[in-house]
Amino acid sequence: MLLEVQNISKSFGGVKAIQDFSLTADKGDIVGIIGPNGAGKTTTFNVISGVYRADQGKVFLDGKDITNMEQHQITREGISRTFQNIRLFKGLNVMENVMCAFDPRANYSIFDGLLPTPRRFAEEKRGRKICEHNLEVVGLKKYANEKPESLPYGLQRRLEIARALTCQPKVLLLDEPAAGLNPTEVKELTELISRLCSELGFAVLLIEHRLELVMGISHKIYVLNFGKTIAVGTPDEVRSNPEVIEAYLGEEDAEC
Amino acid sequence: MEFYLSVMTFTLISVIAVTGVYVLTGLTGMFSLGQAAFMAIGAYISGVLVVKVGLPFALAAIIAIALSVLVGYIVGLPTVRLRRDYISLVTLGFGEAITALLNQMQSITGGALGFSGIPQKTTFTLAVASAAVCIALVAYFKASKYGRQCIAAKSDELAAKAMGIDVARIKMIAFLFSVAVTAYAGVLYAFYTTYVDPGIFGWKKSAEWVIMVFFGGVNSLTGSIIGTAILTALPEMLRFAAEYRTVFYSILVLLIINFKPAGLFGEYELSLKSLGIGREKKNAA
Repeated sequence: MLLEVQNISKSFGGVKAIQDFSLTADKGDIVGIIGPNGAGKTTTFNVISGVYRADQGKVFLDGKDITNMEQHQITREGISRTFQNIRLFKGLNVMENVMCAFDPRANYSIFDGLLPTPRRFAEEKRGRKICEHNLEVVGLKKYANEKPESLPYGLQRRLEIARALTCQPKVLLLDEPAAGLNPTEVKELTELISRLCSELGFAVLLIEHRLELVMGISHKIYVLNFGKTIAVGTPDEVRSNPEVIEAYLGEEDAEC
Repeated sequence: MEFYLSVMTFTLISVIAVTGVYVLTGLTGMFSLGQAAFMAIGAYISGVLVVKVGLPFALAAIIAIALSVLVGYIVGLPTVRLRRDYISLVTLGFGEAITALLNQMQSITGGALGFSGIPQKTTFTLAVASAAVCIALVAYFKASKYGRQCIAAKSDELAAKAMGIDVARIKMIAFLFSVAVTAYAGVLYAFYTTYVDPGIFGWKKSAEWVIMVFFGGVNSLTGSIIGTAILTALPEMLRFAAEYRTVFYSILVLLIINFKPAGLFGEYELSLKSLGIGREKKNAA
């Protein structure tokens, strides 16, 4: 199994944000995580990617225990993510934003960093090529020299995905990638995610409010409510689960 | 002529110190209120090594920079993991401690009376060459993976970590680089004035450098350099109006902060490319 999350729990003071959450994902899987606001979806991402330490439970990537690693180490092991509230680097252009995800593995020393050495240029060129490719994949190549904050919202989301791809993930965590997108953009995004997942062969974990998106592309769905997992299954199984309907599908207002 | 040459030499030394502060504050977003202490360490160590030990100037300068970096590493170890505001506090405490230490160690440093008898080795030419080299190093640093990671860490630490950037390490690298540059400015200073005393390396000096970086444009190396040149040279040139120059200085800083919060140059960098494109695309860089 590529990613194995075993019984993780996380509390903030008296609030149990997630309780006893388990999840498995294999190469090529698209796994949806849904649930009303405050259900603990983003917290699970934050625990898996190392922003928070789990109170209990373990996370394994390719059989390796990554539970207590530092955030940047977890990324280097192969888990990369995007953020619900877009977090691009101001002060860097689109290309440089993506380059930042390559830089931790750029192979040159501080002396090459201070001087114009051949090694530095070779590595910069290698990185630029990878980043250009990833920008092209998400359709942002022509914006390479723009400032990220000047891009429309939908493109900023794509830039986050390009950046996450550059980390060479085995598992990609997408936190509400369709938030604030119009229907056309959502459709394009869905196609992009499916395509990447089958072409590059990583697993995708997807938090999403838009049911049509999750139901459409997920192979497996986890439904959370108040930190507890209330249902797991294929989109059809989940859709017909009475508890899910009550907790999530039945309460349309809960999303606002 | 003599006077203008000396003003320009002092300005160049300030420019060197501020390029160091630029790496720390402009690129990485860390505020050090003890940066001047590293200038003091550079100045005193090189001075003592030449005057009391009899080492040649160049060797003393290298040892002084190396020791400053070592001290920087020890200070940085706990500091770089802290939040930004705490970094200012720790460095402030460290800086004042160094000043106190220099005052106390009378037998070596001459205490509050200062340390004199340093031979004059810094010439205008050396200052120009040094400034050019330091600016080039910082410009290359900024354009490298290190510079990008510094800016990423400044802009959004959490997202930077999520990209696999070891934020504590990158902050340490930026800190040590800035310490080395600032210490070298201290060496040049000591061997220009031939006399140093602890009073000139307090937190006010560090704060002044931070102001210069902000004045010129916190994201722009070009701005930091020009900001420093203006803010260092101007008070000297205004000596004839002694009682008004602080007022003038303050008004200038206030005007910039008010009307151009991003500083004189914002993010603009002077380069061959930006000159080649021409003036109509001023913001393109």
